[in-house]
Amino acid sequence: MAGKNITVKVFRYDPSVDAEPYYREYAVPFEKGMSAMDALDYIYQNLDSTLAYYDHAGCSLGICARCTGKINGKAGLFCQTPIDGDITLEPANKERVVKDLVIKRGKKEKEA
Amino acid sequence: MAGRKIETDVLVVGGGGAGFRAAIAAREKGAKVTLLSKGPLARCGASPMAGADFTLDGKSMNELGRDGDPGDSKEKCFNDIVTQGYYLNNQKLVQQYLDRAPRLMKDIMDYGTEIKLSDERMIYIVGTQLMDMLLKRARAVGVDLLEDVMLLELTTTGGKVTGGLGLDISTGNFISFECKSVIMATGGWHKAFWPNTGMRDLSGEGIAMAHRAGADIGNMEFITFACNVMYEPPIWRGSIAPYLVSLICGGKLTNNRGEDILAPYDPLIVERGTATEWNKSFISYATMKEVRAGNGFANGGVHYSRGDAPWEFVKLMAAFMFPNWKYKAIDLSEWGRMLENDEPIEVGPAVEYFDGGILVDERFATGVEGLYAAGECTRGAFGSNRVFSAITEMLVHGFDAGENAAEYALKSSSAGLNEKTLKEIQARVEEPLIRKKGLNIPQVRRRIQERAHRQLGPIRNEDELKDFIGFLESVKKDELPKLSTTSKSRIYNKEWIDALELDNIVYLLEAAARSALARTESRGVHYREDFPYTDNDSWLQESVVKYRDGAFEIGKRPVTVTTMTPPKGKMPYLDMMKKMMESRSDTGGKH
Repeated sequence: MAGKNITVKVFRYDPSVDAEPYYREYAVPFEKGMSAMDALDYIYQNLDSTLAYYDHAGCSLGICARCTGKINGKAGLFCQTPIDGDITLEPANKERVVKDLVIKRGKKEKEA
Repeated sequence: MAGRKIETDVLVVGGGGAGFRAAIAAREKGAKVTLLSKGPLARCGASPMAGADFTLDGKSMNELGRDGDPGDSKEKCFNDIVTQGYYLNNQKLVQQYLDRAPRLMKDIMDYGTEIKLSDERMIYIVGTQLMDMLLKRARAVGVDLLEDVMLLELTTTGGKVTGGLGLDISTGNFISFECKSVIMATGGWHKAFWPNTGMRDLSGEGIAMAHRAGADIGNMEFITFACNVMYEPPIWRGSIAPYLVSLICGGKLTNNRGEDILAPYDPLIVERGTATEWNKSFISYATMKEVRAGNGFANGGVHYSRGDAPWEFVKLMAAFMFPNWKYKAIDLSEWGRMLENDEPIEVGPAVEYFDGGILVDERFATGVEGLYAAGECTRGAFGSNRVFSAITEMLVHGFDAGENAAEYALKSSSAGLNEKTLKEIQARVEEPLIRKKGLNIPQVRRRIQERAHRQLGPIRNEDELKDFIGFLESVKKDELPKLSTTSKSRIYNKEWIDALELDNIVYLLEAAARSALARTESRGVHYREDFPYTDNDSWLQESVVKYRDGAFEIGKRPVTVTTMTPPKGKMPYLDMMKKMMESRSDTGGKH
């Protein structure tokens, strides 16, 4: 699978400038064992630095739960979900988007 | 200026164990306390990742009702911490650590934290559980908690701290803080290196801010690299699972010729250096020796496999450490199969702990009035090599720093904030956001991080350090002033945060590289292949970093000694390591 690209389709929305959400597709080199977070990191570092996902204080190791999102429609942690082909990444809750994949956490969410 | 203003007595910067314990102690003294957590409450920084071991002397452990070694004592632990640190330790801080540890262990027990196991000198708890207990207590006593807020700069008036300017990361709005005392508890700066052991928020701005406010920082060259950290595949990179398995079960480390990399070393060094947390310094050194000689693998590491460790024992220990082969939600079952089949995985050193930092006295005061510091962001008790627990460190530091900062605050009055200074800070930090076109921030950062790992890693030499410093100088001159965010929206702007952190990362890397260049000897976790001996005649000194007229100055000052007189003479690095290992007290326990 080395040398192959996958298509990563990502939900984009900045409520302060966009009229409505849209999706953007990125070609990401595939590496066996990569996670959805690895794909996001690749996009942010090499293709599109405007992409926002909870990263300034993410643990990458599955314990802080801030990278919760939807991978091909299914809820999970981006950092702990392995990918092996084209994927679609969306925020955990489209009603609470701060920016792209970052959502607003409110009182109704319980602390661990 | 626009934006929120928060007034408080004690401002705690950092939401790890040190910050939380300091906030609780300060609040319990009656001060109004505000804690800034850069990320999720109780789930950011290194503390929740920790295993976590808590060390104290066995005799005190017994007095608290646990099975410590009754023949142990604070004096014996003192001897062991100082020899592990190659006598570079501040002995007053070592005493404070041992004196306070029983009180903080009692805390842990009173909080109802589950003690998973213990040995003769330590108890083992879960980092997330400890953080949850601290969060619960902080809320119960009335600490004001702010999440996803970072401090950008401290403000001082006449050498006294007055507060600072912070950023609400979600909205991109500024918050000004007015306070009477500050406790810096921002942890390490792992993000300056790649690979690192996983925390995305640890970029060390607390150390840089304290320095710019006038506090001394020192021993910046002493950086502990954990050994046997997974280097492959990407989803597991940075995981310390093999480090844990190797510590408890043993295993084999081989180079690309299939040779055992530890075969050339003295058996006592190998024994202590694999079965205790001496492994961080010894094995990281041994690994880099192989890799630098061209005997490594594709990702710059060596191979770890089960070797002679019996599979039944590994399986049993793994079931305890990683139930169902899950380590903090990572599924390691594939690695379980590899271990059983004695298949190797690539591992290597990754930055794990910072032994130097803000220079504090045994009251956790810095030289700046009203500014205290606690935890990993300080030059703590461990000298040139930490083996005892950093979990204990964050709690004992936090406790005293909190009490002292509160006491100070309660008898001071606020000096007020200087609006002009705040506006200047704001203008400076907004530059990457406002600059129209410029350099891609994450790519600049990655180059810096990879170079730091190579040239400021476990093994150093003059040429590489000078080359690295030259590189940092060109980054400061040609790249940092050109950083520009692609997105100009300030709402959760990752690039903007990355740019701000990068300034501080470069600052700390330069301070550390210059300190490493100045220290022409090898001691603890600082190894110079061009000065491969420990020099107790010239170098029983703390490095001190100052910043004057736009340049770093590296000086030194004698180590603070109380009861243990340091040795004299020069000897080869490994001979000194063996001598320090042999000096350990005759008591039980792995520390």
